[in-house]
This record gives sequence, structure tokens and C-alpha cells, in this order.
Amino acid sequence: MKAQANEVEERQLVEAAQRDPARFTDLYEANFERIYAFVSRRVHARADVEDITAEVFHHAFENLARFEWRGVPFVAWLYRIAANAVADRWQSLAREYGRPVTAAPSVEFDDAEIDRTEQRAQLFRNVAKLPAEQRRVIEMRFVEEKSIAEIAKAIGKSAGAVKQLQHRACEKLREQAERELSGKAGARHA
Amino acid sequence: MRKQTPAEKTHRAIARLLSPQKPHFTAVEAQVRAKRNHLGPRDWLSDLRDLPRERFKERLRVNLQRRATMATRTVAAPEPQASAVPYLSVRNAAAALEFYKKAFGAVEVTRLNQPDGRIGHAEISIEGARVMLADEFPEIGFQSPQTLGGSTVHINLNVANVDALARRAIDAGADVVRAVEDQFYGARSGQFRDPFGYVWTISTQREALSNEEMQRRIDEMYRQQEAPATRPSYVREGFRTVTPYLIVPGTAQLLEFMKAAFGGEERFRVARPGSDAIMHAEVKIGDSMIEMADSNPQFPPTPATLLLRVPNPDAVYASALAAGATAFDPVRDADHGSRGGTVLDASGNRWHIFTPLPGDKIFTSFRSITPHLYAAKPAEFIEFLRDAFGGEEIYRAEHPDGTIPHAQVRFGDSIVALAGGRGRYTPQPSTLHMYVPDADAAYERALHAGATSIQPPATQPYGERSGGVTDPFGNRWFLATHLGAPAQ
Repeated sequence: MKAQANEVEERQLVEAAQRDPARFTDLYEANFERIYAFVSRRVHARADVEDITAEVFHHAFENLARFEWRGVPFVAWLYRIAANAVADRWQSLAREYGRPVTAAPSVEFDDAEIDRTEQRAQLFRNVAKLPAEQRRVIEMRFVEEKSIAEIAKAIGKSAGAVKQLQHRACEKLREQAERELSGKAGARHA
Repeated sequence: MRKQTPAEKTHRAIARLLSPQKPHFTAVEAQVRAKRNHLGPRDWLSDLRDLPRERFKERLRVNLQRRATMATRTVAAPEPQASAVPYLSVRNAAAALEFYKKAFGAVEVTRLNQPDGRIGHAEISIEGARVMLADEFPEIGFQSPQTLGGSTVHINLNVANVDALARRAIDAGADVVRAVEDQFYGARSGQFRDPFGYVWTISTQREALSNEEMQRRIDEMYRQQEAPATRPSYVREGFRTVTPYLIVPGTAQLLEFMKAAFGGEERFRVARPGSDAIMHAEVKIGDSMIEMADSNPQFPPTPATLLLRVPNPDAVYASALAAGATAFDPVRDADHGSRGGTVLDASGNRWHIFTPLPGDKIFTSFRSITPHLYAAKPAEFIEFLRDAFGGEEIYRAEHPDGTIPHAQVRFGDSIVALAGGRGRYTPQPSTLHMYVPDADAAYERALHAGATSIQPPATQPYGERSGGVTDPFGNRWFLATHLGAPAQ
């Protein structure tokens, strides 16, 4: 039932955006983390992940009128755009480099991988929901790869306080991840 | 930084792409990592290294919003467009940015910090609308409403759904200056004050109106407001064409009841010479007047049924019971588009306390008090009211069997409701005080139409020429022409 309700809701979002381009941001909000999680599994450098993610949503925005509802989740359409964008990126780089790219990542997009992508997306969403200070520390630490000392200096706190913030944030994320995993397992058996 | 050559760029890009390893992760969080085993096969911690930058997500959203706005706008108006962007000076711009995000769903587009910690410039986007702001800099005359004690400029924020955004703003702590409602100019809007001293008029356009139509509506609005000023000279000031006159026992007690139950305001009271009995009293309830007098052998009791329009019938019904009324009919939604209940006061008057439900068309023009009359044959009664007093039928509900559960007749600026009477709502002859341009002519006309005389018109000491008739259905009408001298 829940899945059906979600489908109806998603369909309404898509149709609203097809009528009014301003409503596309609802689709963006609902799917940004998923696409970012998908792309970042296949492309390593952050600048490229961001480029491709942006490309996916701009492409989807331009072509939304052509999207037809066939009972497949909207995100599947986005994943296909993303997969093409990743492949294009590898090919164009290979052409410029003048030799075939042999190391192209081949990540099978099976059920397990869909789950994995969903989990990563959920983690990203969970980080966004952390208290502002914790989120800032997590972003500086993991995204900007700053040292504890650098972070301490940047936000004007002691190293100990930064470690505390990081510790609390990681603990919360871990608990959420575990809860979501067990919740999902439970749902499957139901 | 030195500029890279295209060849270098390509080379670095490929090196980045082909690098099988993520950048080395210098772990200080050994304690957390040690717990990884609890997680089973999912290594969420390493996923954190792929975390999207918050700024990236916001920037991409804003870019998409801009494209969406342009896509919508190109239809309406060609680019480029000039624009005027409000620039807000606030005390504590950082807090204001957070508030606007929470209250209006604003997206932060730009934030430039000064070395002293103040925000020198920031830009947000609210559903695609740009607003600039900065911390106040009193030293250069850039002062906030909090410093100045208010702002002279209101910000008009047009959004897709004013009700939703208003709720969000209120939840976030905005003060309601004016609640959201439909406006004559075709928008639905409300006004809110933010904690930094700015007033936002949030609105959603509902209809596209021409200037002429807007002008017509505003003229109409002022005409309605000025209605009292155009009151004909034969109607006493503060009154309308028809006023219910309650001739009942226990008027003094009834006065107190109206004050306690309905917030009635006593305007006038005079005792019968040589007794405690009230000869005449006037009470204002809401926007309407009610007159009353103690019954006596000459004027036996004629308690009335009154329709009392209030915003909150449940509360007023409860307050009437608390003030000593008897429950007659509990509050409920009636099938004709109103919600109401009926109580009985100690003098025998029935008060139907009601509010029109949304979408109602029948009761919209009702004032606070509308007298309600009964007649066994309502259709004949309506005819009589037309012939005798010039009453204009404005509404009639009719059952298939011909019975009339509700009808409305207009006299000048007043409405009188009437019905056949059903169940416990037995006919209840009432007394009404009606202003007419010429009391003598009206009296003759009424008699001609079938009324009987109570007293022929005479000039009264209180500045009216007035006579009385009883209609064939038992109601008493005092037909009066105000002579210009004030009462009392």
C-alpha cells in the first residue's frame, strides 16, 4: 500500500512538473541524493561527480515533457540518464586521451546495487538533517578532507570539541543506518 | 594559481577518473571505525567520503529554478527584464538567513562575510524571487528596522500557495499582521512581520483582473462601507429599516442575558412612570439593534425568533447556556449551508445562533440579527408582505410538496426571514418596528392589504410619526417615520 501511495505521489509530482517547470524542484529534491550516490559510485573525482549530476538534472529538466509514465519509478528514468552520462564521460575522455579506456567501471545495476544506492542516498539525507555544527564538521572532515586541527581553527573551537562533534555525528549516522537496515529487513519479511 | 594548459587539464582529468583508489583517507576516527563491524557488510563510513557538498546541492537547485523561471517567463515577457530587488538591512543577518530559510523555504545563493564577522552581502531566492540582505552598518547609515523602530517598506512576495507558506512562516515564528484572505484585486494574501522588523505581504494571484474591474470592485467596497451615510432621512440614526421589537415579560433580565450571552451593549432604557417595568430599551448586538419593552395588558407578550449570525456558533451557544438560556436545538451543520443551534431565553425568545458555512450563498448578506417570522401559509404571507409593505422576495426554498422551509423578504436595507414552521418551531407572532418614508401612507396601504389597526399614525414625543397594525398572521408592525429630532 505504501509503495502504491508513493507511486501516486511521485506521479503527481511528475505531472505537476510537466505542467509547470517551476515544480521540477520537487523532483530534484526527491531524487538528488540518489543520483549523486549513483554517479559517485562510478566516477571518482568530486568535480566530475558534480558535473555529471548537474548534467543529469538539466537533461531531465529539458526532456521531462517526453517522460511517459509506464509504472516504472521516475528515478529509473534518471538512473538511465545518469548511466548514459557516465558512459559518455568515459568515452569522451578516452577519445581525447587517444586510446581505448580499459578501466571503465562496470557496476552491475542489480537489486543489491539499487539497495546500496538507496542506502547511500539515505545516508546523505541523514547528514543533511544533522544539527548545523555537526554537519559542518562532517562536511569539512570527509568532503574537504581537513584535519581536526584545521577544522578547529576554521570554526573557532578546540580540537577536543571538534572530535566530540564528529563523534556524536558519526554515532547518530551509524545508529540511523543500523535502524534503517533492520527496518528494511523487517519490512521484507512482513 | 597557475592556469593549466588544456593538455594538462585532460591528463589530470583522466588520471582522476582512472584512479582506482579514493583519495587516501587519513583516519582520526579510529574509535568510530572500530565499530564498523557492527554494521555488517555495509561500510557507511566510507560512503561519507562521497557526501555531496551542501553548497553544490543548493547551487544546482537554484540553477534549475532559474531555468524554470526563464522557461515560464519567456511565454509571458521577453528577456531581458529589468528588475527591482529588495535589499534588507537587518540586525543579525546570519539569523535572518536561517529564519527566511525556515519560514519561506528560502535558498541561500550568496553570502559574503566581512573580517569583523558581519555579513556584508547575501542573496536568497524564495521560490525563485530574489531578495538581498546584509547586516546593518549604522556607521554608514545602513540601518535595520530594529534600530529605526520600523520599516516604511513592505515586501510583496508572490508565491504559488499563500496558505501553505503562511502556515510555514507562522510556525517559524512570524507574527500575523493580517490573516490570509481573498482580496478584491483578485489575489489571496496575508501580512506577516518577521522577527527582524520587516512586513511581508504574501500573496497568490487567483484571478487576472483588468484595472477597470479592480476599480469597480473597490468602488463597490466603499459604497458598501458608506451605506450608513446614505441612510434615508426617515430612518433613525443607528437603525435599519426593520428592527425586532421584543414585547415580553422580564425585559430587565433579558437585557442582562443579552449582555452576558451575546456581548450585547445597552444603548437606551426608560422605565414606565411609576413602576419598575421597562417601557422601552435598546440593545446593540454585533452590527444590529434590538428594541424591547415589558409586556402589559395592552401589549401582551410577543416573543420573537431571531437569527443571530456569529463567527463561532458553538462558543456563543455555550455562552448562551451559561448565561441561563435553555437548549432548544443543539449546534449542528444544517443541510442548507449553515451551522447553528437554537436556545430559548427566559422571556420566551428563540435565538438561532448560526454561521454560514464556506460556499454559502443564502446567508452571506445577513447582519448580526435577522427577525424570523412564521406563517401557516408562507406563500400567502410573502404576497401580503409585498402588497402591504412593499417587501421584495429575495429567496425561497420550496419542498416538492409545496411547503416553504425558508424564505427571505427584503425591506429597504433589512432582511426578514420566514418559514411555515415545523415541529417544535411553532409559529410565534412577533412585533417589528419598521421605518417607512410616510407612516400615514404605509398604514393605509397595510390596512388595504388586509391588516387590522392597532393604532392610527400619530406624532410621538420621541420624534417619530408612527402607527401600528396587526397582519393577518398575527404579527404586529409599527410603521414609523423618523422626524429628524433625536430620541431621548
